[in-house]
Amino acid sequence: MSYRLLTLSALRNRLARQPRGAQQPNLAQHPAGKAALSLLKVVASAGLPLLLLWLAGCSNEPAPRDTHSPVSDNGEISSFFYSLLLYLDAAILAIVVAVWAYALVKFKKQAGDDTLPEQSHGNMKLEVIWTAIPTLIVVAITVPMLVGVFQMSKRHDPNQPVVEVDVTGKQWWWEFDYKSGSAAGLHTANELHLPVGTAVTLHMTSADVIHAWWVPRLGGKRDANPGRTYPMSFTAKTPGIYDGQCAELCGSSHALMGTKLIVHPLAGELEVDYKGQKVKLETYETWVREQQAPAKPPVAELEKGLKLFKERTCPSCHLIQGLEGTDIAARSATSGPNLTHVGSRMGIAANTLLNNPENLAKWISKPSAVKPGSKMPDGLVTPEDAKAIAAFLSSLK
Amino acid sequence: MASVADFAQAQAPVYHQERPAKSGLVDWLTTVDHKKIGILYGSAGLFWLLIGGLEALLFRLQLAKPDQDLFIGTQYNGLVTMHATTMVFLAVMPMIAGFSNYFVPLMIGARDVAFPRLNAFSWYTFLFGSLVINASVVFAHFPAGGWTGYAPLSTRAYGNDGMDFWWAGLVLLAISSMVAGVNFVVTILNMRAPGMTLMRVPVLAWMMLVIQFLLAFSFPPVAVGLIFLAFDRTFGSVFYEAAMGGDPHLWQHLFWLFGHPEVYVLILPSMGIVSEVLPVFARRPLFGQHAVIFSGVFIGFVGFGVWGHHMFTAGMGPIADAVFAATTAVIAIPTGVKIFNWLGTLWGGKLTFPVPMLFAISFIPMFTIGGLSGVMHANAPLDLQQHDSYFVVAHFHYVLVGGALQGLFSGIYFYFPKMTGKMMSEGLGKAHFWLFLIGMNLTFWPMHDLGNRGMPRRIYTYPADAGWNFDNLLGTAGVFFMAAGTLLMVYNIFNSMKNGKDSGRDPWDANTLEWMTDSPPPAHNFDFTPVVFSERPLFDHKHSEDLAIPVPHEAEQIHMPSYSWKPLVVASGALLVIIGLLLFHVAPMLWLISVAGALTVVVGIYQWVTEPV
Repeated sequence: MSYRLLTLSALRNRLARQPRGAQQPNLAQHPAGKAALSLLKVVASAGLPLLLLWLAGCSNEPAPRDTHSPVSDNGEISSFFYSLLLYLDAAILAIVVAVWAYALVKFKKQAGDDTLPEQSHGNMKLEVIWTAIPTLIVVAITVPMLVGVFQMSKRHDPNQPVVEVDVTGKQWWWEFDYKSGSAAGLHTANELHLPVGTAVTLHMTSADVIHAWWVPRLGGKRDANPGRTYPMSFTAKTPGIYDGQCAELCGSSHALMGTKLIVHPLAGELEVDYKGQKVKLETYETWVREQQAPAKPPVAELEKGLKLFKERTCPSCHLIQGLEGTDIAARSATSGPNLTHVGSRMGIAANTLLNNPENLAKWISKPSAVKPGSKMPDGLVTPEDAKAIAAFLSSLK
Repeated sequence: MASVADFAQAQAPVYHQERPAKSGLVDWLTTVDHKKIGILYGSAGLFWLLIGGLEALLFRLQLAKPDQDLFIGTQYNGLVTMHATTMVFLAVMPMIAGFSNYFVPLMIGARDVAFPRLNAFSWYTFLFGSLVINASVVFAHFPAGGWTGYAPLSTRAYGNDGMDFWWAGLVLLAISSMVAGVNFVVTILNMRAPGMTLMRVPVLAWMMLVIQFLLAFSFPPVAVGLIFLAFDRTFGSVFYEAAMGGDPHLWQHLFWLFGHPEVYVLILPSMGIVSEVLPVFARRPLFGQHAVIFSGVFIGFVGFGVWGHHMFTAGMGPIADAVFAATTAVIAIPTGVKIFNWLGTLWGGKLTFPVPMLFAISFIPMFTIGGLSGVMHANAPLDLQQHDSYFVVAHFHYVLVGGALQGLFSGIYFYFPKMTGKMMSEGLGKAHFWLFLIGMNLTFWPMHDLGNRGMPRRIYTYPADAGWNFDNLLGTAGVFFMAAGTLLMVYNIFNSMKNGKDSGRDPWDANTLEWMTDSPPPAHNFDFTPVVFSERPLFDHKHSEDLAIPVPHEAEQIHMPSYSWKPLVVASGALLVIIGLLLFHVAPMLWLISVAGALTVVVGIYQWVTEPV
């Protein structure tokens, strides 16, 4: 092994020995980082017209998945570098375009002028200058970038409370298994609930092809690879409901592999804005308690739905904890989402449809019409039966 | 003062040729003339450019509004996969091969490439590869695993039947490119005219030299990856199957170890074309020619050490992320040097703006935008957001459309007179330029915004409330402008071949050797072997008594290679091997087709070697 590799792993070990905490300032909040950004903003005022052009290319629709309104420490680091490089790029582009435009106008050949211009082959001084300056700029942006890489990959201090969740991508939905804290053992799908201000580590893997879990407001994405588990650590800072979806091409319904992140307050209910609607968020612990409870047996008029659910072999893939005959699904690579509290979710079919009985019936009576290639087979239930099953499932709050 | 007319006085050389030349269809099937092979490559590239553009138009229609169902699921994925595969491998690469075939020997004062029959073999394996990939839509479905073919979405368990045609076609294209790479490296290093030292080789030929090295060294890893995939799909091996101890990351590394140098294969030739066109229409030498050449060489070298920046989200770990991020940032330096030198070329020139110049000057800011967003992607923490988002789609389209394609368009308008002896219409060309420039920016600029708004790439539909409606509508509108511009160019080409004004030898008052011979050049390229005294031999011939290229009084005695069927025979053998593998599961014993193909290759090579030329 070479000397360089040894020192690099030594560096990694040293960084790993200083676990990050939720309260530790990250690069984006570092005074040096802030100073660099303000300096660049001044320099980049040269690029202001181009920045305006930049904005002109943007629509003024609301952007619920804006990558630059980060709600986690990781997202803040990404966003910090975006601002830094946007101003830098705008400044460079402004200089290049200004010189280019000036040259095109100024050095246009005049009619009737058939003499040759000066036949200069170059200028060594200029070559050195325009090699050296970009080199310095590259060094100046690479050094903080390397700090950012290691900062984002740092693991949490195992001595502080950490919420750990195994995230498994499946064609075309997400499975979440809570591994630590009060929620340990909880098993849910598509909507990831996390506490605010608490260290979180997601362990990403996949049961089939490669997926990538991406909630833009939270921060960057991570691939979910079959046969590998890769951790993603962060601390969510703002309670709210954030949409996301798979970002790695994963087959016919890649576009419909949505997910939601719901960041709960630690104490007290909170009203948040979700796409213009007011939604009440309970505390994280309340949510955990509700989810840990077994499913309640259906009231009389919904019993038909439960019966059909069992007859139509739904339980061979879907688990409902606490009801007899519905908890036979073995957890496997092919099993479908846990439905114990499916009625409490905001969306169904991996956030593709709003969760209501009509949509549920539509989804289970002909899954392939909602999601091309869906692993849930068509024709298992008649539209009539689907309504009964949907009514029953919707009651599983 | 000497002039180009001097060269018309020279006597045609006396041929020694084993077999007299054929005519008509047989000539085109058996030709080993680099110019004819260049025209074949270029025409195929233009044809597939239209097909790839049509594919883009279709899926942009699907994306014009939210919640549409024009092309859904695998249909959409197939269109996206074929758009990228077609544009990269079947449109831009053959157009580059067309320029490299037609003009490299002319630029360096040679009569043909080093291995003319090998050149024909490259053409046929390319042609068969392109047909095999597209045969998928006739015999199965379009491959739908993305042009990156990530395992395990490309394997038999998860991929669709089209992926078989995809690997099969790409294997043929890989053979074609590796063979061509070796051929052109040998040609440029060994067949330069007397006096043409390496630093006098024109920049376009230099960039072609760099990419031929890239082709020769970067295609082997992906060929290995494709053969692993072929084994997984055909014989049930488990190279990419995690459950059996295989590793999907293996594909990603093999693919991008090829894929990133490939990006430079696509852009460096256009940088070379711009470096030829700007000095001609600025009436002064390329500023810092050596710096431009060395920065191209540097990009080629460093290009092999940056592939991991396509895998920042894959989970390589922070050390690999850090190393690849740092090496990638370094690429910005030589790229910047090139841009500054082009500006230096314009500065102090006497500029005229015919169509080739328009595309060349618009290349500079368009490519700069793509380069600068590339600097963002080199930043690993930021790339975690931008990776697989529309921001990346915007980035590589500014590089490949604003850069590579505009460069190639510039080359088409610039070199058309040399290839046909006719001028293209300036008016139609200008209409093409403006339509294309507007369309390109209308389509790709809003994609930056879409990426910032969190839209992932390769999704066939999107919800109406995600804030992506306006940008997507703009994007779809822009495609029609680009399509109109490109169709105008195609019409312009056909129309000008018939009705164009005669161009003569040197319509642009240019600098390099290809302009001293007839338009179109005779089979033997030059009536006499030119002697080169400077990096602008033709310019100096016209402007300096001392550096005029001497015209000999006597006819030269030359040997010209004869036509040959053997490249077609050997390439057909390779095609049969592939077809046998594709049919392996269709019926028993069909693998015998592969055996027959292998025998054809062996026999063909034996006849090739023993055939008198």
